[in-house]
Amino acid sequence: MSTVTSETFAAGGSPLPGMKQFGLMAGVLGVVLIGAGFMTSSLDRFYQAYLVAYTFWMGVALGSLALLMVQHLTGGAWGVVLRRPLEAAVRTIPFMAVLFLPIVFGMHSLYEWTHESAASDPVLVLKAGYLNTPFFLVRQAIYFVLWSGMGYLLTSWSLEHDRTGDPALVDKMARLSGAGLVIYFLSVTFAMVDWTMSVNPHWFSTIWGMLYIGGQALSAFAFGITVLVMLSQTAPLNRVLSTHHFHDLGKFLFAFLMMWAYLSFSQFLIIWSANLPEEIPHYLVRWDNSWKYLSAFIVVGHFIVPYSLLLSRDLKKNSAKLRVVAIWIILARIADYYWHVAPEFHKDGFSFSVFDVALPLALGGIFISIFVSQLAGRSLLPVNDAGLEKALTHHVH
Amino acid sequence: MANHSHNTALLEETPVILPGHDFETVTETIAEIPLSKRFPLGWIGVLLIGVGLAGMLHMALGYLLLKGIGIWGNNVPVGWAFDIINFVWWIGIGHAGTLISAILLLFKQQWRMSISRFAEAMTIFAVACAAIFPVFHTGRPWLAAYWLFPYPNAMGLWPQFKSPLIWDVFAVSTYATVSIVFWYIGMIPDMATLRDRAVSRVKATIYGMLSLGWRGSARHWHRYEVASLILAGLSTPLVLSVHTVVSFDFAVSVIPGWHATIFPPYFVAGAIYAGFAMVLTLAIPVRRFYGMESLITMRHIDNMAKITLATGLMVGYGYGVEAFFAWYSGSPHERFMMWNRMFGPYAWSYWTLIAINVVMIQLLWLKSVRQNNGLLFVMSLFIGIGMWLERFVIIVTSLNRDFIPASWGMYYPTQWDFMTFFGTIGLFLTLFLLFLRFVPMISIFEVKMLLPQSKVKHDHVH
Repeated sequence: MSTVTSETFAAGGSPLPGMKQFGLMAGVLGVVLIGAGFMTSSLDRFYQAYLVAYTFWMGVALGSLALLMVQHLTGGAWGVVLRRPLEAAVRTIPFMAVLFLPIVFGMHSLYEWTHESAASDPVLVLKAGYLNTPFFLVRQAIYFVLWSGMGYLLTSWSLEHDRTGDPALVDKMARLSGAGLVIYFLSVTFAMVDWTMSVNPHWFSTIWGMLYIGGQALSAFAFGITVLVMLSQTAPLNRVLSTHHFHDLGKFLFAFLMMWAYLSFSQFLIIWSANLPEEIPHYLVRWDNSWKYLSAFIVVGHFIVPYSLLLSRDLKKNSAKLRVVAIWIILARIADYYWHVAPEFHKDGFSFSVFDVALPLALGGIFISIFVSQLAGRSLLPVNDAGLEKALTHHVH
Repeated sequence: MANHSHNTALLEETPVILPGHDFETVTETIAEIPLSKRFPLGWIGVLLIGVGLAGMLHMALGYLLLKGIGIWGNNVPVGWAFDIINFVWWIGIGHAGTLISAILLLFKQQWRMSISRFAEAMTIFAVACAAIFPVFHTGRPWLAAYWLFPYPNAMGLWPQFKSPLIWDVFAVSTYATVSIVFWYIGMIPDMATLRDRAVSRVKATIYGMLSLGWRGSARHWHRYEVASLILAGLSTPLVLSVHTVVSFDFAVSVIPGWHATIFPPYFVAGAIYAGFAMVLTLAIPVRRFYGMESLITMRHIDNMAKITLATGLMVGYGYGVEAFFAWYSGSPHERFMMWNRMFGPYAWSYWTLIAINVVMIQLLWLKSVRQNNGLLFVMSLFIGIGMWLERFVIIVTSLNRDFIPASWGMYYPTQWDFMTFFGTIGLFLTLFLLFLRFVPMISIFEVKMLLPQSKVKHDHVH
């Protein structure tokens, strides 16, 4: 293993041809469906669907940023094999920042607190110091600068480490990751108050930030596993990735799935028990009408089904099956965010628009295309990492 | 994160215990303490303090049984005070032991091996101290089992299953049971070592009985490994569930300051934070006093300090989120609660808490601080105080000024409150000192697995 160079695991010009194709197809199909959507639905529905899709795909990138920082601090085989896909996802953030603009244009559709009537709402008046357009925009600018900046530094140091192997860079990455995680926790908490909690500006829940932080980690793991399984099918990674790596990653997926369930259920139980008028509408809207079928689906499809499947050790070791579960979790995550946002706009019951499918596809296509292009050109494994050899032979012990 | 990890992989290769040990010296260093005839003066001195305080606990509880819980400072509106503060404080401390022995076992973190035994002991003694408070708060503890445990009685009376207090009974009793079983099973091979090394007949017999006929056969070891993994799997959810249920005691209510959805993860983080601080409080003097510096190394201390920092930051996140959402809610009750916490009659407790749990712990970013035993020991004591204050703040400042100003009131603990609290510290100290003296405080066979001699060379296999 001593002769490993960045050539050994070079990604080549286009890694993941299948995924690239999928990204393009999803993007094109999404755009076509958006066209269809405008013929059948309103612009408001476009923005609502856009918010859901954007929150999810940006969540994959942000979750990847958090996992990247965690693995710089803790080490471990999973971090070594997953690092390059995480880094590629992190490098989508500046592009994704541009894609935030439609939400800025759609603020009036999405956020009641931007309306004139908010000035006469006794509760919203009290929140106006936070929920106002200029401060909202300033906050978004700060988030994107922080996220892009941390991502840029971590990924460029990592590339330099591939070339030079300078141990000082490992130290730098670990140090930034320690402080970076603090920044991540705070910025994501406030960003999610801005993006999704404030679609109902009267409602609040203190666990909301954690719910998204856990959810982003789950999304990022599901996406990372999907990518890694595809990479493991061809050279060069087919030589080194083994069932043991997937078993470990599967266990993490399982753990984060349980964490999501724990956080979601805690929020539900506490609000349900207290039954306070300012909080309970969040669940009443999602249970007292046809939204309850989606609510039930979230419980079954986002938790019971993947949980039961991931209990199996054989499944976690079988990369093809693990990928199916990971993709299923990605779909369930999108449904979960849809469930967070859509009922607030359609309080009478379930209501479907073509946009609800078109935008996750379109934004997903764009995200995946950028992701694949960012994955190209670098070695698919951090070749100078001191833990590489151990990570690749870690089934020995 | 100064020089936090020059190289993660290199760090992993660094031995967890200092070089120079072999199988014989490990056994001797650890087994000598329970087997020796000597009772060191320092040990006797601290034991006397512990026993003295425990005696005070007996007095306080005896008088309580005689007079009723009116001797405590609890009143209306502060109906829950020292009893629940101390309960939550002790239960939280126990969590580090479970985390070290269960979660770190599943994560194959080898450094846990030197500290798991006494962290588990700490868990059990902490749970014992915790249980005293709710049981005696019932006033007539001999009836507590009758009230708390659901059994089919002739009157058709059941506990209120929707109440988190009853979930607490299940959570804590499960926790205590699993912790004791885990701790004891982990000790069996070492008990056999003591049995085999004991010179006196009495000791050999006692340790022999405790070792349950362990002979160290391959089959024994196989079953032992399976049992450990199963128990670790059972304990893992307990790390989360116990303090989650404790947080529900508050969060499912409608009291501003208690009713917050962040409570479950925030309480769990606080529990682990307080627990690791307590492990540091115990480990730093113990390794020095017993000359265990080569087995509980600075790497252990450093790792524990880092976990303390990480969980402490999450606790700080909890404070920040609570304060922000109290404002963001736009609810006058939430806003007043936070104002009362920060500027009301108990503001001193809130700001002391922030000074410790938010400001002071930032020092742990510095490697020089994490390597400074004296400073770390003092900080760990402060964290203990900080986490006690956290529960004081949550409980007292949320209750003392409730919805109706006419019913506002102040809470002052009485001497009996203090005697009971410090008495449980004495009980804990007593139990812990007895543990140090009569049981191998470090897992002998697990530490041996860390020795280079025990490593089978796989490199040539393939």
